[in-house]
Amino acid sequence: MTPNSAVTPASTAAPAAAATRVSVIVPVGGRQTPAAELYSEYKAGLESLDVPYELIFVLDGPQPKYEAALSQLTAQAEPITVVSLTRYFGEATALMIGFEHASGDVIVTLPAYLQVEGREIAKLVAALGSADIAVGCREPRASSWFQTLRRRAFHGLLRFVTGLHFRDLGCTVRALRRQILEEIRLYGDQERFLPVLAERHGFRVTEVAVRQSKYDRRQEAYPARSYTRGFLDIFSVFFLVRFTKRPLRFFGMIGVATLSVGVLELLYLVFDRLYFRIPLADRPALLLASLLIVLGVQIFALGLLGELIIFTHAGGSKDYQVDRVIHYPGAVPAAIPAAGISETAARLQNPQNTFNVALPPQLPTAKLTT
Amino acid sequence: MDNPKLSVIVPFYNEEDSIEPMYAAIVRAVEPLNIPFEMVFVDDGSRDSTALRGEEIARRDARVRIVKFRRNYGQTAAMAAGIEYATGETLVTMDGDLQNDPADIELFLAKMAEGHDLVVGWRHKRQDKLLSRKIPSMIANRLIGKVTGVRITDNGCSLKAFRASLIKGIPLYSEMHRFIPAMASIAGPRIAEIKVRHHARQFGQSKYGLSRVYKVLLDLMVIKTVASFTSRPLLWFSLLCLPLTLVGLLALVAGLLATLTAGGRMSLPLTGTGIIFLMAGVTLMASGTLGELVYKLGDVRPEDFARLTMKAAGESPPKPAYPTGESPQ
Repeated sequence: MTPNSAVTPASTAAPAAAATRVSVIVPVGGRQTPAAELYSEYKAGLESLDVPYELIFVLDGPQPKYEAALSQLTAQAEPITVVSLTRYFGEATALMIGFEHASGDVIVTLPAYLQVEGREIAKLVAALGSADIAVGCREPRASSWFQTLRRRAFHGLLRFVTGLHFRDLGCTVRALRRQILEEIRLYGDQERFLPVLAERHGFRVTEVAVRQSKYDRRQEAYPARSYTRGFLDIFSVFFLVRFTKRPLRFFGMIGVATLSVGVLELLYLVFDRLYFRIPLADRPALLLASLLIVLGVQIFALGLLGELIIFTHAGGSKDYQVDRVIHYPGAVPAAIPAAGISETAARLQNPQNTFNVALPPQLPTAKLTT
Repeated sequence: MDNPKLSVIVPFYNEEDSIEPMYAAIVRAVEPLNIPFEMVFVDDGSRDSTALRGEEIARRDARVRIVKFRRNYGQTAAMAAGIEYATGETLVTMDGDLQNDPADIELFLAKMAEGHDLVVGWRHKRQDKLLSRKIPSMIANRLIGKVTGVRITDNGCSLKAFRASLIKGIPLYSEMHRFIPAMASIAGPRIAEIKVRHHARQFGQSKYGLSRVYKVLLDLMVIKTVASFTSRPLLWFSLLCLPLTLVGLLALVAGLLATLTAGGRMSLPLTGTGIIFLMAGVTLMASGTLGELVYKLGDVRPEDFARLTMKAAGESPPKPAYPTGESPQ
């Protein structure tokens, strides 16, 4: 009898086993390489895997030119599925839509522009032998000192906030087991943080160094708003990772801090009133103190409200992920050898360690000290 | 295998030295009682060989079920998973670090047989450090008793027995394992308490510190809130906003008086404070209403909790798990 297993066992040391099928999802949103060029590069990499594969292009918003180029490829009987969305939904949504059409056990996500060289895909898929998600990390990386600084700051902040160390989350070249996307529902801008979320779900995450493509080495200017967005993203991931199951830990912390500042200030004002006879009516600081107190209580109440939401929906969302349940229904219990195992039992023989608890007389108590 | 009468649930986290002795001790303690039983060992994402040794045991003994977590989720999750996967009528939970003694299980079953829904252990000769463990937990226990109304001497003792149908209906999440009796009190169970043995740690490291205090206080607030929502949803928020409203009214009156005495010059700080507090009271009341809405839309119904412990007229207390027909005598 084999134990029932929820996770596909990591026996596919060579993922080129016949059963594996690779589904590649390419969300096409912003930056892009012409379809034909992109496809030929990726195709070369996928061919080297020697397993059946399919590509799913998700056009995030109407892109007639790209769609036309893709339909030319489909006309040549290339294994391509094209999904077009009527408006821009964001990369995470595009990814989830693509996943709905994917049939492979291994999912590879690739950006719509050449971030890495196509032949590096094989490395990522191979890394799934000992991990559930392999994250590409462009190395060596060509970038200006400013970009390097920006990247370091981003990943440093993320590390500070989540305790997880990644080097290149901007690289969306990743290979993952199908199960990950079945469990984690991405939305908004979370695709970048998929490795973080996967780790929180108990999946094994590994980083794989991949070679940056020539195209990607050309610098791209980032608009200023992408900085604030990056920061907000980190904040939302922080909340998602640390506090979704315990809102009061988060709101309570802020609420109690605000409340304490307000109370301290109020005490100071009252002290002044009592000893220096400064009338409260002349103290505008009273307004600030009361504002802080009120704010503190309200933030705290928000946390309680959050907890109430969790409590009333706790049935639907589990706090834990079970890897597998090990049970051998056929196993016959062997007798427990008497000697050398149970120190507990030995201690029970020692009268000093046992004491009497009042028991109802009708119940058998004799077994206790035998 | 038929459903066993008893399930012993033990969470293990990095307890490779303890799992085998624990298993042996449970078997030695429960086998003589002559009731069908099972053991649910939850491996809480241990990094040592706990899971491997657990699997060895499971291979030898069909009564053992190992629930292996993907990563470390903490003791509450481990207990919750154990409870979910247990199939027995009576569930006994205990720590995997050999500090609880499986020989006590018999006492728990005897208490359960009297018709209790929940029996809690009390480590009355606790083998732990006084300053960092015993005193904080004493204060915590007093506080929990005061706030939740469930006065139990030792909430932190993992050795507890539950009627399965009760505990499976109680939501357990976050770090609620310290509050299982308080949480279960939503359903109004018959709770008993018995003294248990407690041994000093033999293997491994203790996994707690003083930092729990803050979390315990917050969790206590949470339990108070959710528990009071199951009976009177709006009351709790009304209580919260009552002091705010009172202070607001007082400040407003004082402000108006000050205005009068100052000959018509309005006192901004005092009246302002009054208005702020009054408005906060109103907003908080609105939050309470929102809470009621959330509660109404959620999948928790108070009558579900009532049903967990209720007795129909003339019915004897819930079927005791032990002793039944095949009494060991």
